[in-house]
Amino acid sequence: MTRNIHPVLIALTVLVFIFLVGPLVIVLGAALSDTSYLTFPPQGLSLRWFENIFKIEAFRRTIVTSLEIAFLSTGIALLVGVPAAYALNRYRIQLPGWLSTLFILPVLVPELVLGFSLLKNVATQFHAPIFVSLVLGHSLLVLPYVVRVISASLAAFDFSIEEAAISLGSPRLKTFFTILLPNVRSGVIAAFILAFITSINDVSISIFLTGPGISTLPIQILAHMEQFFDPTVASVSVLLMGLTVAVMAAVERTLGLTFFAK
Amino acid sequence: MTQALSIQKITAHYGTTKVLEDLSLEVAEGELVSLLGASGCGKTTTLRLVAGFLEPTSGKIELGGKDLTRLPPHQRNIGLVFQNYALFPHLSVADNVGFGLKQRGISGEAKTKRVNAMLERVGLAPFGDRLPGALSGGQKQRVALARALVIEPPLLMFDEPLSNLDAKLRVDMRVEIRQLQRANGTTSVYVTHDQEEAFSISDRVAIMHAGRIMQLDTPETLYQRPANAFVARFVGFENLIPMTVAARDGAGVTAEAAGGVRLTLSQDQFGAIPDNFTLACRADGLAVTAGADGIPATLGLRTYLGRAYQYQCDTPAGHLTANGPLTRPLDIGATAKLVPVPEQCTILAPE
Amino acid sequence: MKRFAGWTLSTPATLLVLVFLILPVLATIVTTFATTAGPFAPYLTFFGSGFRRTVLWRTIQISLATTAISLVIGFLTAYVVSRSPGWLKSILIVAAVFPLLTGVVVRSFAWLIILGKNGILNSALLSTGLISEPLSMLYTQGAVITAMVYLFVPLMVLTLVGVLEAIPDDLLQASASLGAKPTATFMQVILPLAVPGLIVGAVLVFTGSFTAYATPQLLGGEAQMVMGTLMYQQAMVTFDWVSASTIAAIMVVITIAIVLLMTRVARRLNPMAV
Repeated sequence: MTRNIHPVLIALTVLVFIFLVGPLVIVLGAALSDTSYLTFPPQGLSLRWFENIFKIEAFRRTIVTSLEIAFLSTGIALLVGVPAAYALNRYRIQLPGWLSTLFILPVLVPELVLGFSLLKNVATQFHAPIFVSLVLGHSLLVLPYVVRVISASLAAFDFSIEEAAISLGSPRLKTFFTILLPNVRSGVIAAFILAFITSINDVSISIFLTGPGISTLPIQILAHMEQFFDPTVASVSVLLMGLTVAVMAAVERTLGLTFFAK
Repeated sequence: MTQALSIQKITAHYGTTKVLEDLSLEVAEGELVSLLGASGCGKTTTLRLVAGFLEPTSGKIELGGKDLTRLPPHQRNIGLVFQNYALFPHLSVADNVGFGLKQRGISGEAKTKRVNAMLERVGLAPFGDRLPGALSGGQKQRVALARALVIEPPLLMFDEPLSNLDAKLRVDMRVEIRQLQRANGTTSVYVTHDQEEAFSISDRVAIMHAGRIMQLDTPETLYQRPANAFVARFVGFENLIPMTVAARDGAGVTAEAAGGVRLTLSQDQFGAIPDNFTLACRADGLAVTAGADGIPATLGLRTYLGRAYQYQCDTPAGHLTANGPLTRPLDIGATAKLVPVPEQCTILAPE
Repeated sequence: MKRFAGWTLSTPATLLVLVFLILPVLATIVTTFATTAGPFAPYLTFFGSGFRRTVLWRTIQISLATTAISLVIGFLTAYVVSRSPGWLKSILIVAAVFPLLTGVVVRSFAWLIILGKNGILNSALLSTGLISEPLSMLYTQGAVITAMVYLFVPLMVLTLVGVLEAIPDDLLQASASLGAKPTATFMQVILPLAVPGLIVGAVLVFTGSFTAYATPQLLGGEAQMVMGTLMYQQAMVTFDWVSASTIAAIMVVITIAIVLLMTRVARRLNPMAV
């Protein structure tokens, strides 16, 4: 196919991608700077701001908290989301249409509103521990991604395969684990990754639910920025970008990059 | 308006894979030529090259004597009918048909008139306001046809236009396509993998394989006198028996196949027989008899064809498929003689 | 058992959403109608305050600008990406996904470095002599919009690449074969078929910017207060929870109204769905 694109359009696209990637390169540069203030291009190369992250107790603690919350909330979302996605696809006829809307509701409701409402009507009302509220909030936040991604891979699944297994004498529950799950493996991995990343990066829900003693990494970054404008934040940002790169590499190895194109 | 198409020594690649090699094809004014072959034979590639969606590595394409080879698709003025109809889903039937006219700066009254006349011709006059999504497969194909015809192109090309329709509609539509094409006298190239379809509507058919035209001829010639083993198999000569002439006696020729099988063939019936040749026979062309002459065979599996019984036969010349009369079913293991029926056999010269 | 299997399996998720999302959010909204000052008092207060009206109007302006700019940039980029050969397409998509997976804090922070008084843009402009004094670019509407566009362009590109790839090649070839020039094909075939996708993308960006917090907080600050930052301030700084709930209710109503309305419009305009 001859695909001639106007050169002006191509030039524009190049600019757009510079716009997309450039700022992140600048953050990387700033993180490597030897100066005590933020600057780009870096003046002198040093990793001392990376060391500084681990010198600051609040960063150490919040990194751990963020990881814990991400794992727990993603786990909960998978635990309730996979059966729900399965039900939505397998029993489409007997379930009402609004049910699938229900599971993407957390996307429709602004995160700030969800965070505030959880604080006002759950955390304070029932004296729920901060950590529990955070895990709850994040579970809701990531549930839509789990349901949607797994539904998408189930939509491509031929349920007669499952029936074939059952007709050959495999018990229902065993069939779910031996036939269904392996076939939607890539969907589960994708859902996990998306959910995990979404949780790690969340600000809008966490900002209301964090409290004395317990905070998440993005909230800690915001707090740090209010007081200091040194390259530590850039270094933490680079750490987070490193995590993103690791995730994308994992996706590339398991699912292939075409996954992102969907 | 109609013009002759000339494809001259075209070679084409997908990446580094060669998909067409030195392909030449002349389609005369008003003629309908089909490109017939299995998927991957290069028939669709040829069509896309002529349409301009692909560029050949070398060679030349001319339409009415004008070189098209490097012209972008939208300047070629070729009517295309697609396998999936490719109707614009956001435009009404009338706007779909009028799309090409609009591009040619024809609008208002003149456009409406031509669109309506065209819709009338394909029997879709009442459907002008509908969206394509609301039409049946056959109706969609008519819209696609109308859309390609209304621009009065010097060349029409069809890419498997009927493969998404059910069997009955396919037969009706191919008659309709042929009638419209005849009435307009538009030079046409028709790509299909369906032999019956190609043979029924074409003036000539090009049987393609591995990026080359194996034979280009009228359907009658292809069916009765294939030029080579590939075409012979393609048109249904199931049995190909390599033979060598052992003796000639006037018109009679005694030839020998593997396993010492000897047959006497008459040149009056089979035409000139070279010293080395392949006898190609359809299943109907090998009669299962109880006589003394013929290829000795042990009969295997028998299947019922309705008009005859078909036998899988084991012979000294190899495995053969032959048909026997309904009056006398034979069991597995029975022996018989297979005798070539000249009308259902042909002689292939060595390639 | 089979009759209820679907319900049984979806119950845990349903309960989670019902108990911890629908009920708390409804409770937040309900409290705004149950104040001692009368059912609509918080809304009268909100719309009676010039400052709050300004905040709402500013939020709408910023969101509309972000949406419009992201749409144009996103669509043109997505068009080029979708027409690119395979290897280049993968690279471009990764380049778009990477910022998307990088958190909002990191991405907003990048613009702090760029737009700050001693930031890169100012140093660059100073060194070229175009300006003699550093410009104050932070805490302006322009800064917030720039960073928001940065935030949402990848989302738009990815959404629209999907939309454009869903348009069959056949249609574009049919258009060309009928004599349409590339620009005509773009305007008469590609653009109309992409409209539903453009609407979906626009809704995503608009609702996202309308309810954003971190970006306007970092790049707009007090000077460019928007609904999100105002709500946070009311809830966590002045502890006026009725006021915060009112803002929350307004955000929910506007968001859901836009989503419902526009998805309906998109569906009606989608000829592929027929």
